[in-house]
Amino acid sequence: MDVTVAWYLTLGAVLFTLGAVGLLVRRNPLVMFMCVELMLNAVNLTFVSLGDALGDLGGQVSVFFVLVVAAAEVVVGLGIIVAIMRRRSGATVDDLSVLRG
Amino acid sequence: MFAQAETVATPEVLWWALVPLLVLAGAAVLLLTVASLVRRLPEWLPAAWTIVAGLAVLVSVVPLWNEVQDDGARSFLAGAVGIDGSTLFVTALLAVAVVATALLSRAYLTREDLPGVELYVLLLLSAAGGVVMASANDLIVLFLGLELLSIAVYVMAALHLRRIQSQEAALKYFVLGAFASAFLLYGIALVYGATGATGLARIAGYLSTTILLEDGMLMAGFGLLLVGLGFKVAAVPFHAWAPDVYQGAPTPVVAWMAAGVKAAGFAALLRVFVLTFGSWSGEWQPAVWGLAILTVLGGSVVAVVQTDVKRMLAYSSIAHAGFLLVGVQAASDRGTAAVLTYLGVYTLLACGSFAVVTVVGGAGDDRHGIDAYRGLGARRPWLAGAFAVLLLGQAGVPFTAGFVAKFGVIAAATEGHSYALAGIAMVSAAVAAFVYLRILVALYMEDRHLEDDDEAGAVEVDPAPWGPRIVITVSVALVLVLGVVPGPLVDLAKDAVPVLVGG
Amino acid sequence: MLGQYLPVVALLVLAALFAALSFVASRLLAPRRPHDRKLAPYECGIIPSRETPERFPVRFYLVAMIFIVFDIEIIFFYPWAVAHRGIGLFGLVAVLIFSVAVFESFVYLIGNGALEWGPIAEVRQAVSRRFGSEVVRPGVRQVGLEGRDAGNPTIEGGP
Repeated sequence: MDVTVAWYLTLGAVLFTLGAVGLLVRRNPLVMFMCVELMLNAVNLTFVSLGDALGDLGGQVSVFFVLVVAAAEVVVGLGIIVAIMRRRSGATVDDLSVLRG
Repeated sequence: MFAQAETVATPEVLWWALVPLLVLAGAAVLLLTVASLVRRLPEWLPAAWTIVAGLAVLVSVVPLWNEVQDDGARSFLAGAVGIDGSTLFVTALLAVAVVATALLSRAYLTREDLPGVELYVLLLLSAAGGVVMASANDLIVLFLGLELLSIAVYVMAALHLRRIQSQEAALKYFVLGAFASAFLLYGIALVYGATGATGLARIAGYLSTTILLEDGMLMAGFGLLLVGLGFKVAAVPFHAWAPDVYQGAPTPVVAWMAAGVKAAGFAALLRVFVLTFGSWSGEWQPAVWGLAILTVLGGSVVAVVQTDVKRMLAYSSIAHAGFLLVGVQAASDRGTAAVLTYLGVYTLLACGSFAVVTVVGGAGDDRHGIDAYRGLGARRPWLAGAFAVLLLGQAGVPFTAGFVAKFGVIAAATEGHSYALAGIAMVSAAVAAFVYLRILVALYMEDRHLEDDDEAGAVEVDPAPWGPRIVITVSVALVLVLGVVPGPLVDLAKDAVPVLVGG
Repeated sequence: MLGQYLPVVALLVLAALFAALSFVASRLLAPRRPHDRKLAPYECGIIPSRETPERFPVRFYLVAMIFIVFDIEIIFFYPWAVAHRGIGLFGLVAVLIFSVAVFESFVYLIGNGALEWGPIAEVRQAVSRRFGSEVVRPGVRQVGLEGRDAGNPTIEGGP
């Protein structure tokens, strides 16, 4: 069986969808962050496999930047969660409903 | 083996063209370092520092503008960064928004008794991200600019330590923003896969010369990019975060979100869609058309039923995003110029309006119900008058700058034969006028209501500190002047049409 | 050669088996007659109506966050270290600019006491030494104290 680039792209798409659905379905902020990470890493996989298929280094270099951005994003998210959790432990996103129209 | 490594050709850097970015980022880094090392900073220093940095950027844009007008657009850093008229136009808008936000923040932080070097540092960093977006000539650079802009704003939204709403707003903004970033990034990856490049010039060249037999990946990339950028500029149906975040975040930060983030977001939309994917405009125009209709209608209609002025302005900012999308949909030079004009006017309107909201919000930043505005016309005639002018400007009443802006995008749409879109935009402008009318009625016609109330019910508005006062005065004056003499701004926007230079 | 580890492996297996068997045996043999009283969280006293607030050790999170940021910055040094001869002065300048930005955030962390580890009383002293009592900045020192005593960001000790 030949593993072509399409397989990696499909895997990336599946992981991305899992992350996106997870983000919409789950209510624990930490799990939601994991879903964001899953989405970003699915994109990384896509970048690497496309870069490999095109014979271009750009795809792999992009992954470096995405990784760093993802780390920065998660740190900021954790900071916000810690700020909220300090007041209400065990908060889920549904508990956060002060803001209403 | 390493000793034999050959020398790699290193890219050229046009340092002079990077001056606005370097000023903003350098000012942020210096301010943070000084604040960490010096025991006690005078309270006025961070705000003054930020304002000086913003003004320095404004000044530095002028020679760059002349250079670009004379010698044409440039690209450098191996084609990753470009500088053209639209870059400088948006950079100037961001600088104006930075100065206005800094003026508002100083008054706000003092009133709320909040510590505040961080707000200014983040504001400068966020503006630097916006400049990167406006000058990006590569999709990855665009992504980096977007993230620099957004991550700083997530933190800014959470900065009111004692309001749980502020942190809640930050979490919502963060989760949806990260979601949008992931979509945008996936879009970039797919476009890269379809065209083999992330550089905008190379993508544009590839798309205009190549006939793709299978364009599924490219179409998916377009769609995901549109979703990602649509989230950032709060286009319906990706707008869900905007009202909550605008309501919860500190008001000066909201001014920045409305003015700065939107300007940078549309600069990116113009660069990516109109400029880079221009030769494929037939494919993405219908999507933007639908998005524009949903956004103008959705924003205007939902704004009517709000009772919180901050939410109302949030929905009206969504409607403004819709009008801007109408200009993007035209995919022409005229449309681009109209969008840039609109952005210029909207920056003024947003800064001025949220300056008034900052003042009326009072200590604690929670008097944003429409009740707080009842009878303001009698008690604070100048403040109410200024707000009235700004609201009429947002409604697009003739002889205010808002009319010029709305006229520009609708004219661009009719020129592109999108008559239905232009018609719907005009209808929803009329609907949106009701929103502003409601606030105006509260300002001027409901003062009897107050006398019935006891002392506790009557909301007293503190006198405006000089920071918001400057912002309100300048924005009102400019809105009126540009309403009568729109020529300078329109001409600038016409000269600011973006150009792609290969690298 | 690996044979000398056999007793250890045997012991591991035995321990796992013993634990598993104990659980299974207890499940099978123990009499189970549940009723309301037994199922209540406490046999006496008031049934809690909501969860008690947990202790929330912010410092651990803080260290984790700082670690993530500084850990990932290394990613840009590896390519440079491999290629630095090739890209020469340009690469050096680029890495220096990058390092200044990273180092500057380090200065901010130190300046705000993010890496001070110890009883809160000492930290509080450090806060007032640095910033005076009326100027309070966000940073670790307030983290965890904020909100417990609303309106007054400086911390009182015990009663």
